[in-house]
This record gives sequence, C-alpha cells and structure tokens, in this order.
Amino acid sequence: MSPVRNISKPLNPTGRESKSNPTAAAGPGSAPGGLLPRREGLWPGGSSGIISNGVKLKYILIALIIIALGAWMAHTLFQSEEKRVKKLFHLLSEGVSKEPGENIFTMDQKIKRIGSLFDETCEINIPAHSVSGRLTRDEITGYAARGRFHFAELHLKFYDFNIAFPQEGGAGVHLTARLTGKTTTGENVEEAHELDCLLKKIEKRWLFDRIEVVEVLKK
Amino acid sequence: MAVNKGTRQFFLPSLTPAFLIRAGCVALFAYLIFGHLLIPFRIKGHSMEPTYQNGEFNFCWRIRYLFSTPKRGDVVVIRFAGQRVTLLKRVVALEGEEVEFRDGRLFINGKEWNEPYIHTPYNWTLSPRRVEPNSVYVVGDNRSGLMQNHFFGQASLPRILGGPLW
Repeated sequence: MSPVRNISKPLNPTGRESKSNPTAAAGPGSAPGGLLPRREGLWPGGSSGIISNGVKLKYILIALIIIALGAWMAHTLFQSEEKRVKKLFHLLSEGVSKEPGENIFTMDQKIKRIGSLFDETCEINIPAHSVSGRLTRDEITGYAARGRFHFAELHLKFYDFNIAFPQEGGAGVHLTARLTGKTTTGENVEEAHELDCLLKKIEKRWLFDRIEVVEVLKK
Repeated sequence: MAVNKGTRQFFLPSLTPAFLIRAGCVALFAYLIFGHLLIPFRIKGHSMEPTYQNGEFNFCWRIRYLFSTPKRGDVVVIRFAGQRVTLLKRVVALEGEEVEFRDGRLFINGKEWNEPYIHTPYNWTLSPRRVEPNSVYVVGDNRSGLMQNHFFGQASLPRILGGPLW
C-alpha cells in the first residue's frame, strides 16, 4: 500500500495562513486564498497591487534607474549648443586664471589656449583697461600675457549666462564676469563687469568674435 | 521629561503634513520677501562714506520707485552686473539737467548746488554735460579720492533697483 497524500490539505502542517504576509505564503503573483477573499489585482495573475508586490516594485525601480542613467548619458554625450558656448567661457576662465607660483610651461600653455578661443580677429572693448578695437589673436594673447604678468594670483569666473542664438552659426551671450586676485605688489583686486559677447561657429567650434564691457555709468 | 520632549520636538520636529505645509509657507514667504522686496546686501568700499560705511549691512527696498522716479539727493541701488553686483550712489541730477563739477563744487544747470552730505573737501573738475532721457546722474558721497578712480555718471532708470531701507 503506497501512502496516498490528501491534496486538499494545505502544505503548511499547522494548517494556518501566514498572518504577516498572506500573499507570500500563497506564492508570488497569486491572490491569497483561504479565509481572505480573492481580489481582482491591477496586474494579471491576481496581484493585489503594485506596492504590495515586492518583485514588481523592484522591476519598476530598476527601470527607473535605467531611464535616469540613459537620460544622464544622453545629456552628457550629446551636448547642447548652450553647453558648448558655456564651455568656451569655462576654457577662457581656465586660461586667464593664475595660481601662485605658476611655472613658465603652464603659463605658455594657457596663453596659447587663450589665443585658440578667439576668431582670427576679435572686437574687444574694455574701456576700464584701455583696451579697444579689433584685435588679432596675437595681439589678444599679448594683452593676456602682459595682464597676467602683473598678477601673482588671478581668478576669472562667469555668472548669470543669458544665451541667445539670433542667427545660424552665431550666438549672443550676456553675462557677468568677476575678476579677483592679487597683484605682484600685494594689492587685492576685485572687479565685476557685465559683458556683451558675440560668438561665431567656425568649423564646428565656437569662437569669440566680440567682447564688450557694458558701460553702466556713462560719465 | 516634558521639557526634553518639547526641546526635541523643536529641534527635530516630526515630519507631519501640517509641519511640511508650515515650513513650505515660511520658505515661500522668505523667498518672496528677501528675494524680491527687501534684498539684503553688504556694502563693500568707501565711496558712500560717511553716509554708509564699508562693511555695513542693509536691504534694498525694491518698491521705493515702483510708482515714482528718484529725486535729487536720493540714495539709490543700481544694478551693476547681473543680479548680484549693485552700486550704492546718490542722485545729483535728473534727466535733461546739465551737471558740472568746478573745483569741488557741484553745479546743476549752471547754479551751484549745496551738498550737506559731503564732509571732506574735494577738487573735482568735470565739464558740463546733459543727462540723457530716462537717466539720472549719480555720484558717491566720498569724493576725497581721484575722480578717475571713482565710479560715477549717468545710470538708466531701469537699472535702478530701489533704495536702501535705512
């Protein structure tokens, strides 16, 4: 005589439903049976809801993380034109800035980098520093080198970007530039100016075509 | 124990919906008041001495010129660069008026103008010039330094943010 198993009895030897998690006791994806009434779930398989089902919540979280990572990668890899324009200012800021004890090689590299950010000629109007007119790249790098020479420490930062693209291959940027530093004679310098800039896109690269300091107080 | 509980509730309040709503209202109120009506600023520099000293703290009262324009003698806050850098100056001439400095004396439309707020003698000389429409002529109170080193001139009215609260 082989033993016959009574399949109508629950596998649980105590014959009781799990009080803490009846759904888990019945297995994933199924509604609790026994004393609890069967409910129509939102998902197939009789699930009683999204939140109550740990497995499905996990899938949703993984999907959200993948979507967020995808969005972040797309944002990083495919830079917008605005971001490229801002990057040009960031490079100018890096080129102009000077740390104490800067060696001659770093200085040379930075000066060359500054020159590469400008068009063949660029109109520059900075009345406070008596710089005005359409200057060539060499003239600009010369001014930059002489200007940096007077400083032991120099930092240039840009804020309040207002970027517009009035025409194809051209960008107008209105922003604030803040220059801080210490001269070689130990004098602290702190200046802020509102700038109006015009950028040109040449061979897929944005370059400075005009930089003008906005004159707030006209004497 | 009651004090301890109250102190703990004050510093570490329960994040109940009512508390979050109250905190949100306070944050919104503070943003509107201190971001748009009474903008705090600190004075850096000596150009308005002795009226305003270097390092002083004040607020820019934004609605001072909402329904009026600055008058001669008013101290105004001018937007200089972006939204963060401002200038504090005194209005000495209005639009259409002719302004001139002769050996440290201010002339408006050819008549000498008394300036009781100036406490240090100065020797500025500036040829006559007419203030453009929709502008005012502003100068600092401390004119003891060189004229070339002082920020002054015509400022357009849209750049005037308001006046100092005190």
